[in-house]
Amino acid sequence: MMRENKGMRALQYLILAIIAVLFLLPLVWMLFSSVDPHAIQAIKLPSHLTMANFSAILTDPNIMRSFGIGLLVSGFQAFFVVAISVLAAYPLSRYPLPWKKPFLLSILFLTSLPMTAVIVPVYQMFLYMKWQNSLIATTIFMISTSLPYGIWMMKNFMDSVPEGLEEAAWIDGSSVWGGVRKVVMPLMLPGIFTIAIFTFTGSWGNFFVPFILITAPEKLPASVTIFQFFGNNGLVDYGQLAAFSVLYTLPVVVLYTFAQRYMSKGFSFGGAVK
Amino acid sequence: MKLRNYALIGVAALSALVLTACGSSSKSKKGVTTVKIAWRGTGKSDSMYRVYSKAWIADFEKKHPKIKIELQPINASEGDYFSKLDLAMKSASTAPDIVNEDTFILPSDAKAGYLTDLGPYVNKWSDWSNYNAALKKGSQGSDGKQYGIPGTTDARGIWTNLAVTKKAGLSSDWTPKNWDDILSAARKIKKADSSAIPLAIGVSTTNGESVAMQTFEMFFYGTGETLYTEKTNKWNVNSKGILDTLNFINTVYNKDKTGPSMSVVMNANYGSTIFQDKFPKNQVGMGLDGSWTTGNWVKGGAAPVSNMTKKFAFNLMPTQNGEAPGYVTMSGGWAWAIPAKSKNKTAAFTVLKAMNTKKKAVDRALMEGTLTVRDDAAKDPAYLKKPFIEQATKALKNAYFRPKNELYPKVSVAIQKMVEDVASGQKTPKAAAAKYATDVKAIVGAENTETQK
Amino acid sequence: MDAAGVVPPRKKPRNAQDKAKRKLAFWLMIPSFVLLLIFFITPMVLTILFSFTNLSLTGANASALKFIGFQNFVTMFKDPQLAQSVWKTIIFVVFSAVIGQCFFGFLIAFMMRGKNRTFRRIVGLIIIAAWVTPEVVVGFCWVAFLGDNGTLNLLAHSLLGMKPVAWLYTFPMISIVIANIWRGTAFSMMVFQTALDDIPAEVEEAAVMDGASRWQLVTKITIPMVRGTIATNIMLVTLQTLGVFSLIYTMTGGGPGNATATLPVFMYKQAFVAYQLGYGTAISLVLLLIGALASLLYMRVLKVRL
Repeated sequence: MMRENKGMRALQYLILAIIAVLFLLPLVWMLFSSVDPHAIQAIKLPSHLTMANFSAILTDPNIMRSFGIGLLVSGFQAFFVVAISVLAAYPLSRYPLPWKKPFLLSILFLTSLPMTAVIVPVYQMFLYMKWQNSLIATTIFMISTSLPYGIWMMKNFMDSVPEGLEEAAWIDGSSVWGGVRKVVMPLMLPGIFTIAIFTFTGSWGNFFVPFILITAPEKLPASVTIFQFFGNNGLVDYGQLAAFSVLYTLPVVVLYTFAQRYMSKGFSFGGAVK
Repeated sequence: MKLRNYALIGVAALSALVLTACGSSSKSKKGVTTVKIAWRGTGKSDSMYRVYSKAWIADFEKKHPKIKIELQPINASEGDYFSKLDLAMKSASTAPDIVNEDTFILPSDAKAGYLTDLGPYVNKWSDWSNYNAALKKGSQGSDGKQYGIPGTTDARGIWTNLAVTKKAGLSSDWTPKNWDDILSAARKIKKADSSAIPLAIGVSTTNGESVAMQTFEMFFYGTGETLYTEKTNKWNVNSKGILDTLNFINTVYNKDKTGPSMSVVMNANYGSTIFQDKFPKNQVGMGLDGSWTTGNWVKGGAAPVSNMTKKFAFNLMPTQNGEAPGYVTMSGGWAWAIPAKSKNKTAAFTVLKAMNTKKKAVDRALMEGTLTVRDDAAKDPAYLKKPFIEQATKALKNAYFRPKNELYPKVSVAIQKMVEDVASGQKTPKAAAAKYATDVKAIVGAENTETQK
Repeated sequence: MDAAGVVPPRKKPRNAQDKAKRKLAFWLMIPSFVLLLIFFITPMVLTILFSFTNLSLTGANASALKFIGFQNFVTMFKDPQLAQSVWKTIIFVVFSAVIGQCFFGFLIAFMMRGKNRTFRRIVGLIIIAAWVTPEVVVGFCWVAFLGDNGTLNLLAHSLLGMKPVAWLYTFPMISIVIANIWRGTAFSMMVFQTALDDIPAEVEEAAVMDGASRWQLVTKITIPMVRGTIATNIMLVTLQTLGVFSLIYTMTGGGPGNATATLPVFMYKQAFVAYQLGYGTAISLVLLLIGALASLLYMRVLKVRL
């Protein structure tokens, strides 16, 4: 990284700090409410601090199970989307294929159909195939709907790895796969993590798909069980809802922290976007 | 061909996954029928779990060894609950055996062919005569068949914060006799305490059905008119009652300015802002809401209030000019139904009977803060001790139900729009009523409308 | 090493080379093709078909599904709310995604380079937390933030002596735009972080040595080098933001009035509140059309590479 004068650096720190505070402010309600014994839908300082909301969630086996299921579903989804996208993105990035453009464009267009419109046909398809209530089929469906973005982003990240580096590996006797594994993938790690986090987050927060496709309460992921804090006639248990939400953000936050180690390495070589 | 192999392995793994996904079926023990019960779940504190506890289920299964009960709560917002339930009831493979239906949507689901006519079942049930006659009617379809067994009901009225009304010089036993009494009380409150909201009534379309039922219809049915005449299948438009009701809303929001500010009332969270935050803090004089609102103020609720019966009052909604019987309420509630696609209807009805005994009816009303649907349960001493129960039960005697017509949900949307347009000052009451007439004609057909009186 | 397939393509004659490439490409893409065909394209095509029916989840139509030709589309084009919703959707997408998220995403990613590791992590985590908080809760957070007695009004009052403003009622569109910037910036930030990491330090250092000012460095070197990523990112966030529903619905319910009824909200209300699913599906096709037009426009103007 370049050298900058001290004033400039300080200014950047200041701006970033301000942005961070601004981003934190809307979350204050959630943080306060999660330790408030009588949280309401307005900002207020808790009369006294309580851990009751958190312990109510952490000791509820149903909620804990839904977290586990959500982690499995989202984990598998992120893994498979990355794996399948890498396979598909390689030829799309490296070879001149005549149908490339219409293919990429049409799958991308289709993603702008809202899930609320698509879910009923999907449900009927699941019924027809007798897949209703199957977590595996639901996960595969979710993998498929994330593929368009996955492939598109992966292809773009792959485009930014210069072919020359790969060719050098071939000359050293590597196969295509060897080139991908030894040269392309390491350079693409930040991109791969970006896609994995993006897919995981999308899946982790996906309420509508599992809600409609899964019937058995014991198979529902955390994105659906969150609705158990909403009672009839608009009575909401805000305290537990907030505590649930704080815990709910943890997996992605941990994933992001972990990925940071690979994401901001700052490669000394590597090419720019063509 | 390494790369190709990877691709092949991928395909094989995926198809294996798909195949295993297909072969999922649960086999139960021979001769035992599993009855699945679906309702809108609200988690661990869900009163249904306490009413139909594990012990109760075990006891039932001991008495009926051939039946197994499986609870299948659906956790979702109310709108999503209906969508999910409707989808599930479409197919025999996903249909639960017992479902909890909002009486608002029940006629529509019946018309869709999702529900079983329970007439033949209830006729042989000795307890059926203990059910409140009006509520029985509230669980019928537009064809007059009994599709639901009432589970709980509710009543609406004007909650008054006595600390605020006292400042305005109203006695603690003040009760409005007509609409003007409400308006003048609101003006007095405004004068006495400019920081308090004198009269909170919901008017934003974002609050959905409650604006149609709890605001518009609560006043409108007090004019002696109805939205819909069942016998002739005609919807009421362009009537004096509609205009009078809109004028009342206009007076509150635009002339007297005794309603909440637009930012409070046009908010999707209007209800919780008023009844969890402002009302308990003595910042609201009068608020129109249901009998269940006490759930906010009980111990463990969002805004616990000790001695609530001393601090608040639950007043019945008066008729427009105090016409007999003097007060009116709209009632809704939930009913139990058996989906048409259920494969275990007889067993399901056996479970329903056990779920709706007098004792269970009392238990449920106490735990949920709702009103009971059985006349015998309403006389139970434990039930009579509930806060504000006397008023609510009295209100029920004169309850109206929403039109038993499958088009009501659509008409409701038009009502909400009409109310919001007037309250926000976008349309005069006259213009809004005219727009409503056009909207309703488009929904039900011009030939199915009339003007009452 | 397997000789047939994976010997680097260039060692073969041209025609055979292309053929081998296509064959390999085909095999590599098989998993994607299969999944996309079964689980993505089929339901999408069904959805399009359903827009020509009277599909409903409840009521008389639920038991009598039939094709009604273009009736849904006729109703839709007669509805004055359609044009309004399209307009609101465009405003929402342009300001919250194209301008807001991309700008802040880039700004943060750019400034975070070379900063203290712990600092970078904390800032990154806060921004990511905004992204992963459940959507229904985000709605509550923002209502509590913008409410009459909300955090913003409290701060504005104590710091600037301002009178409380009814943000959600007075500035509904601006409120949801800002909320969506807040929610979505993390994605653009991550994408830009990745792209900026790829810029070799030497390139920028060389420019500095040549006497480039900071502004010149950013506009002449850094931005052109990640231009492709910027274009792709704009396209992706546009398509994502077109479908944003829960955030708006929990914050404003589409109101006040119809002030924030973007197409997904309009569609949801028709399909699931007024129970006209077929009609709602027809509305969703408008979203598809906008998505397609926007993508084509971006390809032309921003030269998004395919």
